[in-house]
Amino acid sequence: MNRRVRSTTALNAEPASKPMRRSFGEGLNAWWHAHLYSALSSLGRLTGRPASSALSIGVMAVALALPLCLWMALTNLQRLSGSVEQSRQISVFMRIDADAAAVATTAGLVEKLPEVRALQVQTPEQGLVDFRALAGFDEALDLLDSNPIPAVLRVELKDQADPSAMQATLSALPHVDAVNYDAAWQARLDAWLHFGQRFSLTVAVLLGLGALLVVGNSVRLAIDARADEIEIMQLLGGSDAFIRRPYLYLGGWMGFLAGATALGILQAVLWVMQPSVTALVSTYGGGFQLQGLGILHAVGIWALAASLGWLGAWLAAGHWLRRHRAGS
Amino acid sequence: MPLLTFENVSKRYASGQDALRDISFSMDAGEMVFLTGHSGAGKSTVLRLIHVAERASRGTVLLEGRNLAQIRPRGIPALRRRLGMVFQDHRLLLDRSLFDNLALPLIMAGVSRGDIGRRVRAALDRVGLLARERALPTALSAGEQQRVGIARAIVVQPLLLLADEPTGNLDPQLAADIMGLFATVSAQGTTVLVASHDLHLVRKMGKRVLVLEQGRLIDDFRPGGA
Repeated sequence: MNRRVRSTTALNAEPASKPMRRSFGEGLNAWWHAHLYSALSSLGRLTGRPASSALSIGVMAVALALPLCLWMALTNLQRLSGSVEQSRQISVFMRIDADAAAVATTAGLVEKLPEVRALQVQTPEQGLVDFRALAGFDEALDLLDSNPIPAVLRVELKDQADPSAMQATLSALPHVDAVNYDAAWQARLDAWLHFGQRFSLTVAVLLGLGALLVVGNSVRLAIDARADEIEIMQLLGGSDAFIRRPYLYLGGWMGFLAGATALGILQAVLWVMQPSVTALVSTYGGGFQLQGLGILHAVGIWALAASLGWLGAWLAAGHWLRRHRAGS
Repeated sequence: MPLLTFENVSKRYASGQDALRDISFSMDAGEMVFLTGHSGAGKSTVLRLIHVAERASRGTVLLEGRNLAQIRPRGIPALRRRLGMVFQDHRLLLDRSLFDNLALPLIMAGVSRGDIGRRVRAALDRVGLLARERALPTALSAGEQQRVGIARAIVVQPLLLLADEPTGNLDPQLAADIMGLFATVSAQGTTVLVASHDLHLVRKMGKRVLVLEQGRLIDDFRPGGA
């Protein structure tokens, strides 16, 4: 920037200017003033056309909110699956000929294992009652000579316990017929969650690109609408940086407001979904509270949205200036 | 050293049209010069070469001894901020007040806020429009708009003030007033180069005149002088 400031008292006394040095403080003050001017004038432009601004910001906000909602759903699902995993159980089926004393002996051995958090013994009689209630085979069960259901030890493991190793340990205990630990469903859920994360990342990138294009297009339209003004600025010596600056602020403001709107949408989705999730989880005898973004994540998303707006404006304004640069 | 020097300058546009053919002249600091000729003679091309909106096809344009052909595109804005330019169609920002129109080149030059207010009001005072600093250009007559254009050019305290047909859209009386304003600015020490097709009006000013015809400089004289 040409540094041409004179501390003069009368314009008439200084006909032809020459570049002059100025102090750091004066330079900083001029820089601050120029940025403030750009920031406020761009905000004025945004509010000057409320309908079209709201439309652009709304589209950008939805584009940001969609992957955020997906991400939030996956995060909550992970939390839910994590809590399910924590309460994982191993079922130890006793031999059919194991009597109550044998079951009690084996149960005693299991309880002493350090990896075990809790143990519940289900006797053959309890098992038969449960089976009758669940299967509706009352009459068929009456025809049997003896109870076919073995005693079952339901072993709940501590967090740090390795389920596979425990499966082997429990299988080696006396009077044990079979040990069942269904890890497959957990692996499948993990795979689905992993897929979901990748999918949401891809969607986020695509919709982020969409948001970038929305801002870029809005800024391009704003520049086109003020092409005459920009041409005058170029004729008067406005640098590319000076001309571009208000549009960068315009994009930044759009991103900032779209980010805020997207976070609002996210909060509204949480609010709407919470009763349904609570009702669903309660049918499994549990409780679950949907969790939104933490304050740091929210600030990060907000900053990212503003940066996207800034970047979109930078690309659009840069493209326009390259096409219309005078004298090059 | 002259402030401005044209040395054997030619300009041929991409269409093949020769706008300037081997012209040479120089201007000293503080001088006022009129550039005249019929439409298409090359007056605007001379101004565009100084303003680096165009580059010479041949020859050299020197401003303060600096060859303008060597200025890179990035350096053009800095050069333009040292020039004052007045246009036939004023080129004012119609949705900004007179104050804001004049403040714009000062903001671009990084002038401090306090200096901007002082310099804008001084420039408006010089063209007789201080009382209307908050008015929009659309509320002014064509002559007043041109005075705002001149004020915007002088507010930057230009090294060289260029004017391209500044009276082209004005009636004779207003045209004479505007030319008188340029003479006043020049008398206060600003170097001024005015392009005008109105040779009759130019002659009345009693300043040095360069006459262009089909891209050639055919005369360089001072009416009533040497």
